[in-house]
Amino acid sequence: MGDAQTHPPGSAAAERPTAEWWLRNLRPGGPEHDEALARLHALMVRASRFELGRRRAALAHVRGEELEDVAMQAADDAMMAVLAKLDEFRGESRFTTWAYKFAIVEAGVKLRRRAWQEREVLLEPDLWGALGRADGAAPASEGGELRRLKAAVDSELTPHQRRVFVALALNEVPIDVLAERLETTRGALYKTLHDARRKLRRALAAEVEAGEVAP
Amino acid sequence: MSAGSPRGEALARLLGPAGPELGCEECFDLLDRYVDLELAGQPADERVPGMAAHLEGCPACREEYESLRALVLDDTA
Repeated sequence: MGDAQTHPPGSAAAERPTAEWWLRNLRPGGPEHDEALARLHALMVRASRFELGRRRAALAHVRGEELEDVAMQAADDAMMAVLAKLDEFRGESRFTTWAYKFAIVEAGVKLRRRAWQEREVLLEPDLWGALGRADGAAPASEGGELRRLKAAVDSELTPHQRRVFVALALNEVPIDVLAERLETTRGALYKTLHDARRKLRRALAAEVEAGEVAP
Repeated sequence: MSAGSPRGEALARLLGPAGPELGCEECFDLLDRYVDLELAGQPADERVPGMAAHLEGCPACREEYESLRALVLDDTA
């Protein structure tokens, strides 16, 4: 899955550096170090701008110059991350795919945070009602399941699990935005959400097994 | 629950994937491999178990997966 080295001479792929070229030259002292750094930065800028293009609609209220600054900052931060983690590249993908992901994630996080900069993060379940009205023609069993889910959120989850579940799953706050506001990590938040969802599924299934509700 | 209705879909989204899934850090570590396998026509879901479930349950990782896949596709177009 790593970069192939046997492209026909003159083909577009032949112009693409191999993973070995990147690894050799991105390290200090590499024979083509400056060129490798310039090429890597160009890749990071391309990926950041690509991500910005995909998110622009959600950021229509933000000036274009400011968004360009965010994308450039993401590219710079991603480049530093790639250089710091060169030893972690295992060759299980093309080097460019591996490097691109750092810029995509840096840009995605920064743009989601910018989009929510002036928005309040709701930790209370204000949207239960809206969800309940989402489909007036839904089968009665679904309305019942929604009510049981709400009851399980109140009875089964710890206060922290409830806040995280409500913010992420119900109010659709982006996980990076919540991580920043709660001063925690994305991984820790997703683990909390995962545990909360498992508790809720078990509670709903237990009610069905106990014959309290129809399956 | 009938997943086809808006309310059924909302319930499924709230409860997330039922099977084993990766966490966000593991997803980041394996995302490039998953995308390249997928674009090479390889069985990415078999080779990276738990990734598909995580992408179903985590909207931020899903967005990043879709962006990376689209960017790599754009490069090879």
